[in-house]
Amino acid sequence: MSEPVAVTGLGVVSPHGDDPQAMFAALMRGDSALRPIFPELPKPAAAATAEFDVARWFTKLQLAGVDRVSQLAVAAADLAMRDAGAAGADLDPERVGVYAGCGMGGAAALEAAYRSSNVAGGRVPPLTIPAFMPNAPAAHVAMRQRVLGPVLTYSVACASSAVAIAEAAAAVQRGDIDLAIAGGSEALIVPGVVLAWQAMQTLAAFEPGAATRAVKPFASARNGFALGEGAAFLVLESAARARRRGARVHAQLAGWGLGSDATHLTKPDAPGQARALRAALRRADLAPRDVGYCNAHGTATRIGDVVERDALAQVWGDDLESLRVSSTKALHGHLLGAAGALEAVITVLALQRSELPPNISGGEVDPACAMNLVLEPGTPAPRLFAAISNSFAFGGSNAVLLFTRA
Amino acid sequence: MSSLPELQQIIQDKFGIDPAELTPEASLREKGFDSLALVECLFAIEDHFKISMRDEDSNIDTLGQLAAAVDEIRAQQPVPKTA
Repeated sequence: MSEPVAVTGLGVVSPHGDDPQAMFAALMRGDSALRPIFPELPKPAAAATAEFDVARWFTKLQLAGVDRVSQLAVAAADLAMRDAGAAGADLDPERVGVYAGCGMGGAAALEAAYRSSNVAGGRVPPLTIPAFMPNAPAAHVAMRQRVLGPVLTYSVACASSAVAIAEAAAAVQRGDIDLAIAGGSEALIVPGVVLAWQAMQTLAAFEPGAATRAVKPFASARNGFALGEGAAFLVLESAARARRRGARVHAQLAGWGLGSDATHLTKPDAPGQARALRAALRRADLAPRDVGYCNAHGTATRIGDVVERDALAQVWGDDLESLRVSSTKALHGHLLGAAGALEAVITVLALQRSELPPNISGGEVDPACAMNLVLEPGTPAPRLFAAISNSFAFGGSNAVLLFTRA
Repeated sequence: MSSLPELQQIIQDKFGIDPAELTPEASLREKGFDSLALVECLFAIEDHFKISMRDEDSNIDTLGQLAAAVDEIRAQQPVPKTA
């Protein structure tokens, strides 16, 4: 087992605000950030948007060609670096990297371009391309933090930012870099994108007035997810470096597993997910029973939840009951390219605070998804030592991050 | 005809720069405009005055030069009055 990687900074701009501890407290209460959006659309839709005061991070002049997806990334990465207290004179900018996940890039910029080109006399804004390109968030983070090492973007659908964090941890562990700013951002709550997801029959339908509880992971009545937006970044350093500079360590990133189903573009595959779970355990040199909590991918689709449960059952076997599981997507929505990073932060905070955020689904658990779900808000976990966060993507890429108590 | 006051207004609305800060002699680059911000600025000016800026106008560095260029183009391209 190699030396674990220390998580020394957390930063979020989330549907539950930009203070990680307050966000976690809201999740512990079971507060849902889902709200109805775009009443003009033919089918009702709900989403979790992130309240964000852009003026805290950008002057109007700095905003030329900067899509919301990059704005959120710059803010969350800056908050993570401040939390880490890492931007000191001993930091060699060439030995710092940015590893950012993003599923779609600047969706608002692209939608605005399409709309303007469809009206008479409309003109496409000249900075549509730099605003839209999916690696813009990473580049803006690098410019803001003056990062001169690798600045990389991982676009792996719903696993994007979990993959980015795993790749960053590997680079830190190899000694390629001293410090990584790793996470992701997504901002695609625009009508065109919502319509596209609705067309795929993946978004939860709900009765009027029931938007906040539309998403029901692992429940019999589940019928899909709601989109969320936001950004989350972690600062990763070698444990030795963190010790040397006396940094507060939130948790250790002890293992990660990356793998592929190679079976189907959109249909998840339990054996593929199980391989990623085993790889993470192997790297951390832990047995399934050592892991007390799983922040599930749990998108509340008919097939996805059962497949994830089966994958966990394959790996945990007789110890499945010892694993507490919750999907927090019922509360913050599915942040797609930023989901892995946001849920990694939540998992780190669960370890740090010895508390488990609930799986709010407001109905009977599907017998096919039978697990030891965290059904009650405010659940303590005094003996929690290790926890995992699952991210399983369209395209068949699977990522599992395994954190241990600091 | 000078487009200067309208340009100052556009720049204030779009980029939040007070007209008092942006004198006709001041360098836009020194005030923080990079090439991308300048491109957006020219686009907004084109939209506002319903004109087409020329390629060489992207080299403009002061508000005074910008106003002169816009004045010249407006004089050559009589267009319906803007609101």
